[in-house]
Amino acid sequence: MGGEIQIFVAMIIKYMGYFFILILLAQSCQNRYLPSKSLYPAMVGDISFDPMIDDSLFIVCDEDRVKQYHNLNEEPQFIGEKYNLINIFKQMYDPGKSLKESGMIRIRFIVNCKGQSGRFRILGSDYNYKEKVFDASITHQLLSITKQLKIWKVQADKDDPKDYYQYLIFKMDEGKIIEILP
Amino acid sequence: MKDLSTLLFFLFTAANNLCAQNCHAFLYQKDTLQYEACRIAEDANGLYQYSREYQEILDKALTKCPYFSYAYRNKSVAYLKSGDFITWKYLIDKAVEYNKKENIGYRGWCRFQFFNDYKGAIADIEELETLTKGNIGYSAGGQYHLRMAKALCYKKIDQKPKAISIIEELITDSTYSVSVFDYLHLGVLYLEGGRTEEALQTLLLQEKENDISELHYYIALCYKKIGNLKGFNEQMIIAKKMHDAGKKMTLHYTEPLDRVYLTQIEEELKQR
Repeated sequence: MGGEIQIFVAMIIKYMGYFFILILLAQSCQNRYLPSKSLYPAMVGDISFDPMIDDSLFIVCDEDRVKQYHNLNEEPQFIGEKYNLINIFKQMYDPGKSLKESGMIRIRFIVNCKGQSGRFRILGSDYNYKEKVFDASITHQLLSITKQLKIWKVQADKDDPKDYYQYLIFKMDEGKIIEILP
Repeated sequence: MKDLSTLLFFLFTAANNLCAQNCHAFLYQKDTLQYEACRIAEDANGLYQYSREYQEILDKALTKCPYFSYAYRNKSVAYLKSGDFITWKYLIDKAVEYNKKENIGYRGWCRFQFFNDYKGAIADIEELETLTKGNIGYSAGGQYHLRMAKALCYKKIDQKPKAISIIEELITDSTYSVSVFDYLHLGVLYLEGGRTEEALQTLLLQEKENDISELHYYIALCYKKIGNLKGFNEQMIIAKKMHDAGKKMTLHYTEPLDRVYLTQIEEELKQR
């Protein structure tokens, strides 16, 4: 009887060993394309959570599968169309409070599966596409208004609502917004 | 219209990919370095342009051949579509530097479509015209001839007569097939310039090519200008119905010029 128990325990240990090896193999397969010192995030333009600047209450529904806006529809989807977006900035942005700077400002962010937005990041350039840091009198206003926008449509891929990356580009002339893209 | 536009988009995208992957062309030119880089780049086929793997494979190809323009152009795409104008411009400039004729028209189109960089787009397309005999080709998605794109850029920098003359010359060229939005854009230019009769005639031609909400909106505005209120009402109602049904101008990634929004149609209907 004692011998049978010993054999049973040995079998359990053996199969646990196999199971452990399988897990290691699976992990190595997942990582084979991902060198430890890559220049790139998993996807170009990924925005990871930064506790210093991001709202911890903003939840991304599926962190590993955030889409791009153009994966879900041909063009950006605004509630009230882009007409609504442009009007909001016309009403809320005050060029009188802005330094007279020109160039392009991109604000990129995530719209989650509930249509809420978060993880905003700013990029600026002059009209020769050279990086430029704009004065806070411009960027704070643009960021503040963008954060308040409630115009993002919930978008689904086949069946489930998805998280997606969206961006807005503001073309500025002497502190005034002349165009909003895309 | 949406289906036609989508079909054009996929055909042109597929054609671009197939043409760019002809590695043996480099062997024929006795450029073994580009041939080897091209073979490395083939490993990126089927991978998503945004992915780390895709970018790294093209980096390997560039390590093999630093002047392999195809890799720079294709690396730039994810940055273009994600709005990173700085990285995009750096990469596409490299592609143009190493193969101007193949890439400058594409860069010009992207400047227009993604960044409304009208003067930059005009400069690129006009440089392509000096390099190319005959047809300079179409936009990345296939909906616009590059001369049409150039005309629209001139419109946006307040040179409307020049825009009109470029389009008139283009559509009367016997070798040119009118594209999906050509008559609409020309009709709108006439309308904005006070040439209402010509606008109406041109827009009616568009109806045969590609019937969309915007077309009926602008036809309605023509009728309004000549005092035909019955025609205005009928056309504006059709514009609304078509808009509600999603039959409107679409481009991939961005909104096209002369797009009409529901609010604009409703405001016109309120003023009846």
